[in-house]
Amino acid sequence: MKNKIKVYRAMHDLTQEDLAKAIGVTRQTILAIEKEKYIPSLDLAFRIARHFNVSIEEIFQYDEEARTVAVD
Amino acid sequence: MKRNTFYLIGGFAAVILLAIFWYSDETHTPLLITIAFLVAVVLLYFMRKRVKDFAEDERAARITEKAALRTLQVFWVLFCAFSIGAIAQILQEPSFPPRELVPVAQRHTPEILHLRSLGYVQLGLLCLTIFLYVGFRLYYARKYGEWETDEE
Repeated sequence: MKNKIKVYRAMHDLTQEDLAKAIGVTRQTILAIEKEKYIPSLDLAFRIARHFNVSIEEIFQYDEEARTVAVD
Repeated sequence: MKRNTFYLIGGFAAVILLAIFWYSDETHTPLLITIAFLVAVVLLYFMRKRVKDFAEDERAARITEKAALRTLQVFWVLFCAFSIGAIAQILQEPSFPPRELVPVAQRHTPEILHLRSLGYVQLGLLCLTIFLYVGFRLYYARKYGEWETDEE
């Protein structure tokens, strides 16, 4: 799952710590999502999108090739 | 309560349990250590709930869930193998003549079920489970970016 969190953070001048606190997760989780090591739940994806006032699709892009890797 | 205080109390509890284990062994009261262990686990559980700075979000929960599932999958296979072996040994014992009629010296006792061996095997399996869990936890923590570093 590709994402543009880093871009949106930069646009809103937010650190990973700031964003993590705002949506109620750890900084490590934001980092893991940005590095595509962890796919967030739908709930968390919505919270991130809502925080930046955009739709989920704007931030997260479904990656068909990476799907098989992410399953397990 | 802070996390480090909790770990400190956990350490003290382990030392106290060790002392109770020694006392229990010396006085031949195995029930004492069994009850003490259960009480310690319950107390630590409630203390852990009072710790404020345990940060657990969905990624941390996912790591715990995955590690626990994998540990259980490996553990039940090992436990099942051990249990099947034990059952097979029980079945080896002749059903005739009845066990009560056989002189004690000639009774065939399945080795795997010796009380002493059983305790050691259980302890071994328990230790293995802990190692398995820690191993799987490290694996999934790494997989889900626990030690990733960023330029930020």
